[in-house]
Amino acid sequence: MTDTAGNATTTSGDEPVTMMEYFMQLEYSDVVSAPVMRFRDALMDARLIAQQCPKCKLVYVPPKGYCPIDTVELDERNEIQLADRGVVTNYTVVTPVQYYGQKETEPFVRASILLDPPGGMLILQDVLDIPVAEVRAGMRVEAVWAPKGERDVDEIGNRSGSALEGSLRGFRPTGEPDMPAEAFSDKVW
Amino acid sequence: MATAHEPCAIVGFGQTKHKKRRDDLSLPGLVREAAERALDDAGMTWSDIEAVVIGKAPDPFEGVMMPELSLADALAAVGKPMMRVHTAGSVGGSTSIVASSLIMGRRHQRVLTVAYEKQSEGNAQWGLAGGRSGGMGAGGIFAPWMRSYIRGSGAPEHIGWKVAVKDRLNAVKNPYAHLQLPDITIEKVKESPMLWEPIHFLESCPSSDGAAAMVLTDEEGGRAASKPPAWVLGTAMRSELGSFPGRDTVRPQAGVECAEMLYKEVGITNPREQIDVAELYVPFSWYEPMWLEGHDIAGPGEGWKMVDSGETEITGSFPVNPSGGVLSSNPIGASGMLRFGEAAQQVRGQAGEHQVPGAKVALAQAYGGAAQYFAMWVVSSELQPSLS
Amino acid sequence: MAALKDVAIIGYAQARNERQAQATEVQFLFPVINEALEMSKIPRREIGFTCAGSCDYLSGQTFAFVMNLEAVGAWPPISESHVEMDGAWALYEAWVRLQHEDIDTALVFGSGKSSPGNPAEIYPLQMDPYTLTPLGFDPVSSAAIQARALLDAGKVTERQMAEIAARSRRDAMKNPYAQVTGEFDVDELLAQPYVTAPLRKHDLPPISDGACAVVLATGDKAREVCERPAWIRGIDHRIEAHQPGMRDLTTSRSTRLAGEAAGVGSAPIEVAELSATFTHQEPILREALGLGDQVAINPSGGALSANPVMAVGLARIAEAAKQIVEGGRRRTLGHATSGMCLQQNLVCVLEGEQ
Repeated sequence: MTDTAGNATTTSGDEPVTMMEYFMQLEYSDVVSAPVMRFRDALMDARLIAQQCPKCKLVYVPPKGYCPIDTVELDERNEIQLADRGVVTNYTVVTPVQYYGQKETEPFVRASILLDPPGGMLILQDVLDIPVAEVRAGMRVEAVWAPKGERDVDEIGNRSGSALEGSLRGFRPTGEPDMPAEAFSDKVW
Repeated sequence: MATAHEPCAIVGFGQTKHKKRRDDLSLPGLVREAAERALDDAGMTWSDIEAVVIGKAPDPFEGVMMPELSLADALAAVGKPMMRVHTAGSVGGSTSIVASSLIMGRRHQRVLTVAYEKQSEGNAQWGLAGGRSGGMGAGGIFAPWMRSYIRGSGAPEHIGWKVAVKDRLNAVKNPYAHLQLPDITIEKVKESPMLWEPIHFLESCPSSDGAAAMVLTDEEGGRAASKPPAWVLGTAMRSELGSFPGRDTVRPQAGVECAEMLYKEVGITNPREQIDVAELYVPFSWYEPMWLEGHDIAGPGEGWKMVDSGETEITGSFPVNPSGGVLSSNPIGASGMLRFGEAAQQVRGQAGEHQVPGAKVALAQAYGGAAQYFAMWVVSSELQPSLS
Repeated sequence: MAALKDVAIIGYAQARNERQAQATEVQFLFPVINEALEMSKIPRREIGFTCAGSCDYLSGQTFAFVMNLEAVGAWPPISESHVEMDGAWALYEAWVRLQHEDIDTALVFGSGKSSPGNPAEIYPLQMDPYTLTPLGFDPVSSAAIQARALLDAGKVTERQMAEIAARSRRDAMKNPYAQVTGEFDVDELLAQPYVTAPLRKHDLPPISDGACAVVLATGDKAREVCERPAWIRGIDHRIEAHQPGMRDLTTSRSTRLAGEAAGVGSAPIEVAELSATFTHQEPILREALGLGDQVAINPSGGALSANPVMAVGLARIAEAAKQIVEGGRRRTLGHATSGMCLQQNLVCVLEGEQ
């Protein structure tokens, strides 16, 4: 017997089992939803927009089209412009696992950023221009936008969440004094 | 205690030897190894089973969509009802609960439940990253929350190392456990590579192939069982939104309420005193003190002190994960059922070398998603124990 | 099996089925859940148990169902579970849970977007990974093999299959959620080329994005809020052998067993909503359930006019309930299926009070 890769296989317990690799690829083409389309347009313009629930006042970035807390639908009328600077509330340093498609090879930072008023949380952001070991909670940061001609939102869809690196490369320290990290212990995620 | 429903007993439990690669077994072979052991333990055969409930984590982890369809024959489900549960990492626990519900709701008298993951047949890191670069893994998501716990509780850093050592030494007493690290020390954990600050390599769960299975029966079946049964005193599932501004990710409300609902159903007023042993879902060392507090077993900031004083060791007053836990074996979809089944083994007196002497009441817990899905149950050697 | 507690369907809603919906699954699930809850008159916070059905592979994302929690409003936390199955099995789980007697209401939903992916690529992954997936065994080819077996056995003709398609699309004109509707001439349908012989385009379901939600309540609670609840008198589901070669594809043993356990034959059924996603599966299911000519089949247009995978079975149960709640019928049936060539089947018998 041979398997589809042409390797000898066996059904008896005497010889080792031969394994075959079977890669599969599936393609999905998702239609980008209306709020995310507007979010993309704003990113091309180096702006961050969000939706704010009129009831609980929570700010959702990227906009979802609804507030899951109050179960009300949100639309353009609930959209607000956000600041592109804020504070690192928490972070981790990830040692990359080399799975298929992983491009990172060195330890990298993913930080939660609380944007200045009117607020909004951006999670899993890169922190640039500073050694990984020096990143800390309470650090003041500002957005690093890709130059206008290089800005790209093709990767941004309904599911990409806060992965914005095509347009918003990450955040860098502003050099302002740190804010007290304890004040943001409930602004992690 | 409300007993409007039929009592449910666990009369059989089985698990595979968990390993990095079980390339001696196909998927059907893997689930059958656990299921046959559960049937043997129950003194039953395939034909005694009326319904099958199967659970596992995301299908893309092995590349088989809705695998209950192709496993129906291997699990002798042909002609029977078969269900497939999926609630992220808590799935092994919620699958057990759905199976018990079929008994409690008086649909069936004998139900087989199975959960598995064959991580070696896919790439969970790739799956968790959605195929994108820069994936964080579960550890990367949970790491900041663990740091928040450390910061908020003032716990010293050796607590995480201590949990890692305790669970691995417990696993040495469990022949089914994947990791066998009899020489592990605090020093080795501390010196192991940092994966997701503050989590070192040895503070993190392995990636395993494995399966777990249980046979559940009604009261009559429990009373007729050849080996001592474990009675399900109560079950609870709670879910909450994974992400919204202001969410408490360190002590998620769903976990607090899940425990509260369960304790109320069972009649537990002082879990630390009334529960003899717990199997908690601890994939990263710091989650042991976090769940002790998150499920109100310890007060705020007290969980790490239970670890520090050795209370959670097998010989301690509140043993946690005598089986070695998720830190020693992590076939993701089965990890929750292993907690639920190991808790049953403890009160059945069947836990072998990692038996907690005299355990009568045991707690099992599993969690999943962004620490937003919770499944818990309490089992006992008696149907109506006095909870002193 | 012990006597069943009275549980009824008291609210339901569906999304308008469409291909390539611009809304995300959560976005179109959102109003569906709101509408079903509103109809039930049960405040969201009072729901005792929630259960959902959906599929990661359909969405092309691991843990896709986690996002769907946002459409439920899972804050404060809720008692909840999920099956990687059609929402009809979520209804089964919730119905069993209501048998425990400690809660009196449940919310159930199923949802999915079929249009982003390619069914011919995705569904072979549902088959045995060692022997069938590598063959690329897709749903249309497997259905064609089943249809061929049925034609060869003399149990159906291609004309009858076209008549089923024409009737479904005509009935669907009255269904605001349906996707493929209209008057079609049977001879013209038969003049169309085969897609995969012996199946023509009209024998196949459309590719649909959709959702369905149902609210359940026990005895007195149901009577309190609903004028004419649709009582679940029997519900059961069965699976059979996976390898199509191991089964007689011209019959459905699992449907027959589920139907018997659900008590289909104990009194006449007036309307049956069947998840026959291919025309030839309707006569197989009718025979397995013993449904004669007097039974109205799929007045909603059925799965041939809208096939929101993971919601289509629950939608059949919702449509069967609607026949009682709004249509004044006495006894109806909803059916759901899973796997290729009707491998797994669920039957739910509903009754209205006299």
